[in-house]
Amino acid sequence: MIMAMVMLLVVSCKDSFLEVAPTGSLADAQLATKAGVEGVLIGAYAALNGVFGNRLEGPNHWVTGSICGGEANKGTDPGDYSSINPMQRYETDPTQGDLSAFWRGRYEGVSRCNTVLRLLAQAKDVSAADAARIAGEARLLRGHFYFDLKKHYNSIPYFDEKTPASEVPKIPNTPNVWDKIEADFQFAFTNLPETQGQAGRVNKWAAAAYMGKAKLYQKKYAEAKTWFDNVIANGKTTNGKKYQLLDDYTQIFNAEFDNHAEAVMDVESSMNTGNVANANYFDDLNYPYNTGLDGPGNCCGFFQPSFDLANTFRTKNGLPLLDGSYNNDANALKHDYGVESSAPFTPDAGPVDPRLDHSIGRRGIPYLDWIAHPGKAWIRAQPYAGPYSPKKYVYYKSQENKLTDGSSWTRGYATMNYTIIRFADVLLMAAEAEIEAGSLAKARELVNQVRARAANKAHWVKKADGTPAANYVISLYPESAFSSKAAANDIVRMERKLELSGEGHRFFDLVRWGIAEPVLNAYLKNEAKILVTKFGGAKFTAGKNEYYPIPQREIDLQGTVLKQNPGY
Amino acid sequence: MVQFFEKVTRTMNKYAMLFSFLFISSAMFAQITGKVVDADNGEPLIGASVIIAGTSTGTVTDLDGSFSINAKSGDILEISYTGYTAKTVTVGAETNLSISLSQGVTIDEIIVTGYAVESKRQTTGAVSTVPAKQMAAIPSGNVEQQLQGRVAGVTVLTNGQPGTTSQIRVRGFGAFGGNAPLYIVDGVPTENTDFINPDDIETVTVLKDAASASIYGARAANGVVVYTTKSGSRKAKKMEVTYSGLTGFTDPNVKGSPKMLDPQQMADWTHVAYRNNAAANGTAVAYTHPQYGNQATPRIPTYLHANGANGVVGNVDLAAIEAAYKANPSNVFLIKPNLEGTNWYDAITRIAPIQRHSLGFSGGTENGRYFIGLGAQNQSGILLENEFKRYSFRANSEWDLLPWLTMGENLQVTYRAVLGQQGDAGGIGIADDESEVLSAYRMPTILPVFDEFGSYASTKAAGFNNPRNPVRRLVLNNGDDGGFNTAAFGNIYFLIKPVKNLTIKSSLGGNYNNNYYKNYNYIYLGDSEPEASNTFSEGGGYGFSWVLTNTATYKAQLGSHGITALAGIEALNTGAGRFFNGSGINPFSTDLNFVNLATVQSPQVNSGLYNGVNFYSIFGKLDYNFKEKYYVTGVLRRDGSSRFGANSRFGVFPAVSAAWRVTSEDFLKDISWLRDLKIRGGWGEMGNSNNVDPSNQFFLYRSDRGSTFYPINGQSSGVDEGFASSRIGNPDAKWETSETLNIGFDVSLFDNKLEIILDWWKKTTRDLLFTVPLPGVAGNYAASPAINVGSMLNRGIDFQIINRGNLGSKLTYELTLNNAFLHNEITKLADGIPYFDGGSYRGIAPIRNQPGYGLSEFFGYKMIGYFNSKAEADASKQPGAGVGRFKYEDVNGDGSITPADRTFIGSPIPKFTGGANFNVGYKNLHAEIYLYTSIGNKIFNQSKWFTDFFGSFEGSAKGIRALESWTPALGNEAKAPIWESASNISTNGAANSWYVEDGSFLRIQRLAMYYDFDSSLLKRLKLSRLSLGVSANNIWTLTKYTGLDPMVGGGADTNFGIDVGNYPVTPAYMLNFTIGF
Repeated sequence: MIMAMVMLLVVSCKDSFLEVAPTGSLADAQLATKAGVEGVLIGAYAALNGVFGNRLEGPNHWVTGSICGGEANKGTDPGDYSSINPMQRYETDPTQGDLSAFWRGRYEGVSRCNTVLRLLAQAKDVSAADAARIAGEARLLRGHFYFDLKKHYNSIPYFDEKTPASEVPKIPNTPNVWDKIEADFQFAFTNLPETQGQAGRVNKWAAAAYMGKAKLYQKKYAEAKTWFDNVIANGKTTNGKKYQLLDDYTQIFNAEFDNHAEAVMDVESSMNTGNVANANYFDDLNYPYNTGLDGPGNCCGFFQPSFDLANTFRTKNGLPLLDGSYNNDANALKHDYGVESSAPFTPDAGPVDPRLDHSIGRRGIPYLDWIAHPGKAWIRAQPYAGPYSPKKYVYYKSQENKLTDGSSWTRGYATMNYTIIRFADVLLMAAEAEIEAGSLAKARELVNQVRARAANKAHWVKKADGTPAANYVISLYPESAFSSKAAANDIVRMERKLELSGEGHRFFDLVRWGIAEPVLNAYLKNEAKILVTKFGGAKFTAGKNEYYPIPQREIDLQGTVLKQNPGY
Repeated sequence: MVQFFEKVTRTMNKYAMLFSFLFISSAMFAQITGKVVDADNGEPLIGASVIIAGTSTGTVTDLDGSFSINAKSGDILEISYTGYTAKTVTVGAETNLSISLSQGVTIDEIIVTGYAVESKRQTTGAVSTVPAKQMAAIPSGNVEQQLQGRVAGVTVLTNGQPGTTSQIRVRGFGAFGGNAPLYIVDGVPTENTDFINPDDIETVTVLKDAASASIYGARAANGVVVYTTKSGSRKAKKMEVTYSGLTGFTDPNVKGSPKMLDPQQMADWTHVAYRNNAAANGTAVAYTHPQYGNQATPRIPTYLHANGANGVVGNVDLAAIEAAYKANPSNVFLIKPNLEGTNWYDAITRIAPIQRHSLGFSGGTENGRYFIGLGAQNQSGILLENEFKRYSFRANSEWDLLPWLTMGENLQVTYRAVLGQQGDAGGIGIADDESEVLSAYRMPTILPVFDEFGSYASTKAAGFNNPRNPVRRLVLNNGDDGGFNTAAFGNIYFLIKPVKNLTIKSSLGGNYNNNYYKNYNYIYLGDSEPEASNTFSEGGGYGFSWVLTNTATYKAQLGSHGITALAGIEALNTGAGRFFNGSGINPFSTDLNFVNLATVQSPQVNSGLYNGVNFYSIFGKLDYNFKEKYYVTGVLRRDGSSRFGANSRFGVFPAVSAAWRVTSEDFLKDISWLRDLKIRGGWGEMGNSNNVDPSNQFFLYRSDRGSTFYPINGQSSGVDEGFASSRIGNPDAKWETSETLNIGFDVSLFDNKLEIILDWWKKTTRDLLFTVPLPGVAGNYAASPAINVGSMLNRGIDFQIINRGNLGSKLTYELTLNNAFLHNEITKLADGIPYFDGGSYRGIAPIRNQPGYGLSEFFGYKMIGYFNSKAEADASKQPGAGVGRFKYEDVNGDGSITPADRTFIGSPIPKFTGGANFNVGYKNLHAEIYLYTSIGNKIFNQSKWFTDFFGSFEGSAKGIRALESWTPALGNEAKAPIWESASNISTNGAANSWYVEDGSFLRIQRLAMYYDFDSSLLKRLKLSRLSLGVSANNIWTLTKYTGLDPMVGGGADTNFGIDVGNYPVTPAYMLNFTIGF
């Protein structure tokens, strides 16, 4: 009787008793509104930074684009972050965990864009203009994520917001996704405004530039030229600045000048955000090592420019050595390999491109506004990765705690935006299109435009006494240099290497030009002259290493749906 | 909270109504007193149990063997005492009973299951009890650690940190996570018993199989550990006071720590590596170490570091450096080599004192009884700044309000502080973390702890890679930290006896806890990767859980038929609460009176809330026996949980079991050596849902600053909120169900000199809940749901052997062996998931979970030796092959070494665990030795990755296996590969069997002697007890394992047995004192 009564009492409220609400989260209904969709769109932007915990996912492709492109060697020592070791030797196997994380991170981006589009279709309170803009931003971002996947893995599964979640894992991978990527860029170009109040948003002209880049990757030069011509003539940034090259090359990589006129599409970076993932967390391991308070960051020197890249900056009559002879003993840059920091060293006195000392930290040259690079003392293991430090996307001493976020384990998470596409990149891509589908003269003009900026003496690296820190000699290409398509191509390719070094483009450029195998094997050979332990016996295999393997994890999880890339 | 109080109020009102209702039908209770004595010699039996059958009402006899209990006519009293045959007495007119027990069946201990108290004689399930004394014998922060070796079938993996959590596994590992047993303290279920003072414990019962545990249904699959705390006596008597004290220290066992290269050896072997590098690469040797010079014979410099200069030979300008130091003391260092070599393990450890004091007050009147316990334990860890403190206050009381109504409560208030603890999951994760213990093995011996100015010395001295001075890290970064947890745990209950044979119990229990922490870290620029900010964080939170249990028990003896029926309902919440914390950097001053979250730069805040999980359950149990010869028990429980969606919210868990007391049969009456034989068998199902997020059924979105925010305005400071899909829901998930089969027997032979309890068991867990990894195309942010896939098999044999007897008239002994064999196997995973891997440690991913293999098995290449010649290496198709490097087995026989050649190389799960306790008594002097063994488990000694390869953080400290690294002469006898810089899968770049070591060990956990003073003396002093003892714990370990300590736990069930830098269990020496009056 008593039991029965007690039971009754509890049973009567039983159903609701077993409904416990989840905490700290939201459901579909709360987000299928204008405010909700705008929030989810910001979530999609957040994926640009590759914020999912693996530094290799950073937007700057410092491993997959730069290290694997031969611009830089993986630094510190062999046992540290050893999963990169096989990658830089082109011995990556499909079980490599970082590449699996990269795959997932970029598909997370795709998935967030699809969620924006799906919720947008459900939301009732969005005006037509807003809907067009929101969809345009989401589709440009989605195009970007797919482009990244495409250039890494070549053959990828493609799906959009209309694909039901249960169908997504059943979609096989295919190299034929350019049409779909282009459709996103086209939609974005048609629907996005030129300018918006919020400088962090992508705009119409970013879509146009990305479309040109997509055409270039497909060798559709004439179409590419049309898009680039339009961008160069009419393009402006979201905050309304007409696209142009900055006078000072270093300002591109300096947080004080973020959202500048050269930034066509970039990833916003910020401090005081509650999490350093909103700053350049992917670079925190890449600053010089053991600098104390004399240099930036605390760690660890993972990103060390290669001998090959440093030597490339050698000039003769102000022009680079297009025949590759910059690695010859006679031309190679003098370096401090094996020289103690306490021992005397005089930097190379020969002629070099001024961008050398904007791009590479080397012994004896002022390291931004820190001390002069002391050489070996800032390098974890010279015998492992050489004597150089990175210099682009490094913060200044004067910016510490003003434009850096020191709230995590190293003191300086830089906050300059990483630029996915910058105007100099557009000019050089346009030059490629001109060579194939336009005029060599126009191509020369574009290349010289980029070189002229570098030649601006006012912004060269200076010693304390105001004199140039090294023997900088740079000149414009004469008409005679652009005598043939082949010669012009060599020049443009060289200029991309010099201008865009360390920015994550090199590997993908080499692959699309079809010259990855000879160039990278030459690079390996050159580095192995000194860095034997690291590169001895390494080899780039044509027909295989142009693309990264489809992660084994994904093949395992999707059964027979995904096909591995050739050679793996 | 408000809701909760409403609920309580409602419940109270309900009871008030019920009580008035019940006044009408009350039976008369009477005070029954009695005395229990030994049938042979009439000596009083102290501490014998007297319980009213079918209830949880009971008492124990006092020093005179006397007891007092409130019972009514017709109640059956069960009187039992360890080592004696139990008796039952039916209460009649006689209110003063004289009961004599004869030595006999000893398997007759009290089993407290939380819902009922029964005697072991009647049980049909697999149940173990642990004497409360044993739980208090070895002082540990968390009492459950003491189950190690005390219960056959319980695996305990722990470490040496005071107050650490442990992996407690009853009968194997049923699931991929959430395998901890359910704890019941005085009837209140909890997932955590770290608050208990061992001296307050009265009984410990472990319910191992479905027959015994499935009364706890959905939460019982991992076994149930039931604690009851002490209570007072049921008769008027003077207050009894007991003090137990213990003081001693733990020794870090520096002698037993792994040996590191001394400064000269380190220099020599650095140069060996340079020569090996050159030979491997075919280049000239280059000696490039910044300290040891460029010549072939390494030199030890005069200064390792002198204000920026490294490897200085000869004098430096001391005056200038001193001036520089004075100008900038945090950034100027002058470091001399420590030629003798620093023993960093010694430097980070200490002789750690411990003390524990417990005071118990117990007493009673005819109508009430109480126990008050006060406890204090202060225990230092062997690691600097590692402290454990617990202060507890317990008040248990019970009052007979009316003849048919009893009210009682158990309440403990606890203050608990654990400081400087490392390792996730409450400390157990330390084994696979890169802890400060590992740091001690990464710091070169040549570096001193302090430099010439008295600053901490570290790797600002070039050439030693990136380790950080662990003494500095512990002292500076833990020294000012604080934190504590305050908690109240307990219940209040009513016992109602409305009619004969029926007892109704209603209990409301709860657990409230509140915690706070503060954490200061300080700038230090002397590391190669310096900590360049002062940082501060603090936070706090609270949680509250409650449980309401109502049971009715009917117990009757109808002729030869004994019947006990139990029915109950239970509603509970596992805990709801909130927390907040924040952090920031670089306050203007580091004055402790200044720093708070409002005075730091870049403050970051975080907070959260959780609602817990609600359970609603009904259950019943029926015990039947015929002439105490044949026993049958049936259990049924239905649980509903808010963890699951409406589709499959309820689970039903049945169990049946039976026993046959063979010795009650006439045909065995004449076999005198066989005192008792009971054969038991049981089958049942139990549930588990621990491994499931409470939000598993929901599709959710979330914002978080790290992954969904973006500075959309292009700002360089601050960020805008965004959202992303954060959880994919599975509304169809349901309980994991483990089906167990148990067959066992209890036998007692030769006048109980030999007792054996043996159980064969098999536990099959199906519908295993597992968070199936989503394919990458689904993204990587949203949590994938747990779905019911997979199954796991555990089976084993548990057996306990007790042998006791006399050697001569005064010398008695007792030997207890608790042993268990365990087999664990994953039998199924989801379709399309052939396996899943565990975590990765510095690029080494050594764990794979795959059907056909055990949980969390080690996976990697099988090392079959080294490449002993260049020809052999050149001919190999193994990537990175080279002279003196690992040579792997071509498992799939395709002629080359690829990831497909990786295979299973060992399991961390012990095949056999056992404890042996041997007591000897001579007059008043007692000696005890207690051994524990674990056999057949492997350890993945990941710490070798740091110490045994020159190329792992080149320049950091290395172990003495370097001296036996590969040379042509050593060949396959080498202990480590060739000493060189290279890093690839043939060296330190892949998991392989070289890391796997036998983790078997045998340890003397305790060696103790104590002296109980004579009762004649006690009487003169008016004392009831006086005892003095000494003990030594963990003084000897037999193992082949080369790491610090063979007991290696881990943060998760899918990740354990990995030793990155374990916190060892080391010797402790203790003085014990007990006095009662």
